[in-house]
Amino acid sequence: MVEKEAVVGPEAGLHARPAANFVKKAKQFDSEIKVVKGGREANAKSTLKIMTLGAKKDDRILIRAEGEDAEAAVDALVELISAEE
Amino acid sequence: MGAPLKLTGVAASEGVAVGPAFVHAPRELRPERESIPKGTVEEEIGRFRGAVEAVVRTLTQTAEEMRASGSGSEAEIFEAHAEMAEDPELHSEVEERVGDLTSPEAAVLAVGEEFAALFAEADDEYLAARADDVRDVSSQIAAELMGGRAAGLAALEEPCVVLARNLAPSDTARIPRGVALGFVVAEGSRTSHVSIMARSMGIPAVVGVGTALEGAFGANVVAVDGTEGYAVADPDEATVTAFEERRKGAAAEATALEEYKGIEARTGDGRRIEVSANIGSAGEADGAISWGAEGVGLFRTEFLFMERPELPTEEEQYAAYRGVAEAFGNRPVIVRTLDVGGDKDLPGVSQPEEENPFLGWRGIRMCLDVPELFKPQLRAILRAARHGNLKVMFPMVVEVGEVRAAKALLDECRGELEGEGTPFGEVEVGVMVETPAAAICAASLAPEVSFFSVGTNDLVQYTLAADRGNERLTRLQSADHPAVLALIERTCEAARAAGIWVGVCGEAAGEPAMIPKLIAMGVTELSMSAPSIPRAKKIISET
Repeated sequence: MVEKEAVVGPEAGLHARPAANFVKKAKQFDSEIKVVKGGREANAKSTLKIMTLGAKKDDRILIRAEGEDAEAAVDALVELISAEE
Repeated sequence: MGAPLKLTGVAASEGVAVGPAFVHAPRELRPERESIPKGTVEEEIGRFRGAVEAVVRTLTQTAEEMRASGSGSEAEIFEAHAEMAEDPELHSEVEERVGDLTSPEAAVLAVGEEFAALFAEADDEYLAARADDVRDVSSQIAAELMGGRAAGLAALEEPCVVLARNLAPSDTARIPRGVALGFVVAEGSRTSHVSIMARSMGIPAVVGVGTALEGAFGANVVAVDGTEGYAVADPDEATVTAFEERRKGAAAEATALEEYKGIEARTGDGRRIEVSANIGSAGEADGAISWGAEGVGLFRTEFLFMERPELPTEEEQYAAYRGVAEAFGNRPVIVRTLDVGGDKDLPGVSQPEEENPFLGWRGIRMCLDVPELFKPQLRAILRAARHGNLKVMFPMVVEVGEVRAAKALLDECRGELEGEGTPFGEVEVGVMVETPAAAICAASLAPEVSFFSVGTNDLVQYTLAADRGNERLTRLQSADHPAVLALIERTCEAARAAGIWVGVCGEAAGEPAMIPKLIAMGVTELSMSAPSIPRAKKIISET
């Protein structure tokens, strides 16, 4: 299992287009990927779940992955979500 | 039938209509069965998956139709809905409940409602609006599971004016074509889904009339004025007559324009002006031809590059360009090479954060710096050129060196293709004149190319230093400004001296007041959004 912390970069937080981009990226990996915020966990490949986390700009989130490409998945998603837009 | 009742709202989609009222008051969708017998779980899960597939198929098809008719933003709504329908968490929640012997229709409605409730309670306008989207999607799946979707709006046969508290995109999309004469909606603004859809379907609409709408639910006849933004329930005879006359007038104009669709436009003194379409994807070619496009003056290629994990391959680009080239036969299709900047993500290209993406690393600047991005596009265009009459044009040019460098790369691609024995065709090269620099230096650019195409939207933005998206600057978003006109004139003079032609491919090309001015300066090709073509041809004929 690989996990890393990230700070949400986009102004809109983790919904609307940033959420869609995030999920799209997550779906490129085979690993099971979770986003954890404030003790709540969401499947990174589900836009519905990701949006209900209500992660806002500057919130700290944890990205956790399990599987063959876990390392690459976590790195890619941390980079994506930390970017400001 | 009561006394006339006037409802005032937002003018959401222009035009007038009078017709019998149909009140869309959706009954809450109830599951036919709450539970299922033991031993049928597998079968019911299979039915659920089948229903999801059917709904996704319909949504995707609607999205494609919207895109083909040039309505990209509406297409995105349906694409987002399709994605919701496929959401893995929605599926696992539903399938778990079906495993516990809940019927799939009851399960999907319940799960959809739970997500919607989560969204609705969030203190966030965007999320709250998504609640309706989730409900819309889960009811579509439930309706599909229960076998009939042809109820309510989908079953309408007689033309009518639709009254509703709100209309979801799926509601509007499933009304049979030609049946809805107009919409009167309690909620919404000019940018709501229903307004956007109404405009793209050419149906008059008034939205945001509020609770007053309920007073009209008993009306027999409703008159809608989507231009002024009001509706009249049970209008008196004089109102009906007045609306009918206006509707006939508008219809007559459309019919009168009909005869211009197919013509080759010439001015009064016999000058031939080519009227072409701007398209943003390969799927729009047929629609453009049906509006009377004599070619494509601007084929934006960004659609191939956006919203995807990797860059498109040369093969994929070749197929897209070839499709459009073939659709237009000998008629010209001008392919604009990739024009993106820091405001849009490009897969595989690391773009720096920019304060002013419109003044940043974009268009030809980026393409020249990243040949691995640019060359596959040029190769694909050259290869597709065998199948029609393709031309290529470069965006964001500010100096002659850029044109020479781009042409050198084009030569390099020709050499490679020749060496590989890959067949290709010839393309004329042009420059998009959209920066003041290109217009001012037009005389030095002209000998390098076969044509100029003036991109008025950006030329206006850069010349008047006015952001095209800034609503407070609308008065500065017109090409009808002496500075912009002077730059276009200068471009035309340089072209005349070098013996090349000039087209215009911005909004101005389709504006009735601008067309005579552009022609007077020597422009011989006008390229615009396809529905504006018949009117432009008429104006040219009268010039």
